Amino acid sequence: MKSDAGGTRPGPAARTLARMEGLFSRAFGGENNPFHHLGALTIFFFYVALVTGIYLFIFYRTSLEGAWESVEYLTREQWYAGGIMRSLHRYASDAAVITLGIHLVRELVRGRMKGPRWFSWITGMPLVWIVIVFGISGYWMVWDQLAQYVAVSTAQLVDWLPIFTDPMSRNFISNEAVSSRLFTLIAFIHLVGLPIVLVLGIWFHLLRIRYPRINPPRKLMLGSMAGLLALSVVFPVFSHPPADLDRVPVSLDIDWFYLAIFPLQAVTSEGVVWALGTGGTILLAILPWLPPRKREAVAEVHLPDCTGCGFCAEDCPYGAIDMVARTDGRNFELEAKVNADLCVSCGICTGSCPSSSPFRQREPLTTGIELPQFPIDRLRREIDQERGRADNSILLLGCDHGPTVDALASDDIHTLSLPCVGMTPPASIDYAMRATGYAGVVIAGCEGCDCHHRLGERWTQERIERIRQPALRKRVPRERLLSVWLKVGQEKRLASQVEAFRNTLEESRKDDGDKNPQGADAREVVQ
Amino acid sequence: MSRPIRIIGQTATWLGLAALVAALAQGPAFSPVADGHGELRLSMAHLAERLVPCRPLTEEERLALPPTRRVTEICERGRSPTVIELRLDGELLVRETVTAAGWHNDGRAYLVTTFAVPAGEHRLRMSLRDTPRDEGFDMEKEFTLRLESGDAALLEVGDGDVRLKAPDRH
Ligand code: HEM
Ligand code: SF4
Ligand code: SF4
Repeated sequence: MKSDAGGTRPGPAARTLARMEGLFSRAFGGENNPFHHLGALTIFFFYVALVTGIYLFIFYRTSLEGAWESVEYLTREQWYAGGIMRSLHRYASDAAVITLGIHLVRELVRGRMKGPRWFSWITGMPLVWIVIVFGISGYWMVWDQLAQYVAVSTAQLVDWLPIFTDPMSRNFISNEAVSSRLFTLIAFIHLVGLPIVLVLGIWFHLLRIRYPRINPPRKLMLGSMAGLLALSVVFPVFSHPPADLDRVPVSLDIDWFYLAIFPLQAVTSEGVVWALGTGGTILLAILPWLPPRKREAVAEVHLPDCTGCGFCAEDCPYGAIDMVARTDGRNFELEAKVNADLCVSCGICTGSCPSSSPFRQREPLTTGIELPQFPIDRLRREIDQERGRADNSILLLGCDHGPTVDALASDDIHTLSLPCVGMTPPASIDYAMRATGYAGVVIAGCEGCDCHHRLGERWTQERIERIRQPALRKRVPRERLLSVWLKVGQEKRLASQVEAFRNTLEESRKDDGDKNPQGADAREVVQ
Repeated sequence: MSRPIRIIGQTATWLGLAALVAALAQGPAFSPVADGHGELRLSMAHLAERLVPCRPLTEEERLALPPTRRVTEICERGRSPTVIELRLDGELLVRETVTAAGWHNDGRAYLVTTFAVPAGEHRLRMSLRDTPRDEGFDMEKEFTLRLESGDAALLEVGDGDVRLKAPDRH
């Protein structure tokens, strides 16, 4: 038997991506898979750039005359500290571009810019510009031939826009023309302005995300740091000869991560660079609404079942639930209120609500908060479908984004695909075993730290481990419960784990074969 | 998966990241100008002639003005576009018509461009028109331009003067 909520499933691109990422899960384990922490890794690389940058700044001279020499001193005389810091500063910034790029593509491929997530997507766009400008401004600081080329090309880009009447490029036509004030301004922008703008930009980017993962796991910090440090020692960064505007650099070893636009500008034109930059941004920015799609219904509060405990507000991954003053006169202080603009229809709140108990004798079953397209009553009816013949069966609860469970449906496996496994109230696991009489329950959701709805997998595990409310009752035999965390496309692995689980269930049943299974009609009364 | 294989996988990941960074962080090299070439920069900031010349005020017009503002001339603000043409060894490098800056076109005409020039000795001819006429030039100058590979020369066109500055290697 199988059932699904009819939600959107991952497309071919998302499946291919998951297959590739699966390789890394094998090496790192799901929770430490770098692809599950791209945003956090990006922040970490910026953090490395910040710390190394502070060190560089101690020795740096913010003037046209002193800049190159002070960097040269760090690189050569102080190669063991300043030189490594300098190399790390560059390499960490470059690594940030890599993780940022993959982060963007990954969210795009997984369609995580649609619906209320548009906010994270749109606020990501300016971050790309900020990061690129940040990097470009950093290359000015060395005031070597590369800096000269970057300065001249930047000025040409700026001059293409109708901003200044006296072209900025006139600052770079000769050594006499170079304005040390402009240089100081750029240094100030790189050292003070952009760091602040970047932090504000990231803060804004995460504004609608509850409990954002800002720090990657230690293992990833240490590993990536080791890689970049090794690179800094083996291939340290060097400057070009000092800037000299009486000369034009014939060959430059450029940093393609940040400076690729300048060769593009050289072989095309300033107009093309601006057109691609703004056109690309606009194109990406409208993606959340292309093609226009009807929004899924959002979670609804059912006041008669809401006690105002606040669990749902605590658990909602997108902060879509506010606890507000009671409006129905009942003797509770607060009630839950859903902000429809923020709700992604994941149903995790249903799993959080203490009223979500299928044991309650009520037709139809109701709870404090639920999705109209997948109410708790439907969940109970689905579970109960096997009533009477469940004692040899397994209930397999999956989700629309993790491994597809439908294919595993058989006579003795009843599958149900939820918007998110986090939607499963712990009481429903208890109910499935005690009331319906399933031999076992399998929860199969997205891999560690990769829940499509961010926190469903984490909350589910914490509820099972009884470190989060509502906790799975102690009486639920944990050996009859299996949780599997995999990616879409890993259905074979899911199948073999379910198969092994079924075998152990059968064996333990044989062991205490004479005992009667739970009476299927023993509906427990809670309220 | 066995522990050694996992460790190999993780090490390979971080080496891969380092390799990717290394591959693009300091090169491949890019040449802003081809080998054996130098650069000629043109920087113009030139105040062109007025479109309508100033004319003296008549005594009547003068008296009509407030006593503190009795100027002797009246000038309209607009200035002629500047046409600049550069020829290197007779070949046209650029010919551009630059309008005077400002809302009322009363500012200078600005132009900054660069050209890659093969190393060696060249004849550079600059012609400039900055009066409201349709043909001919108001100023023409010729220079000898000597450039070595990687040198940058600057042709600076100011309000009245035109200078060619090339690196002096003697
Ligand atoms: C400086 C650059 C960036 C940093 C540091 C960054 C960091 C993060 C972090 C930490 C998260 C939260 C992950 C979680 O806890 O679930 C996140 C989410 C997200 N990011 Fe970024 N990001 C950056 C740029 C971008 C860009 C350029 C885009 C795309 C245009 C983007 C799109 C998204 C989206 C759509 C989410 C939300 C996913 C969801 O709804 O769960 N980010 N980002
Ligand atoms: S459905 Fe998900 S996003 Fe919406 S209120 Fe519930 S937990 Fe929050
Ligand atoms: S978890 Fe349930 S009872 Fe608690 S505030 Fe939310 S809707 Fe109300």
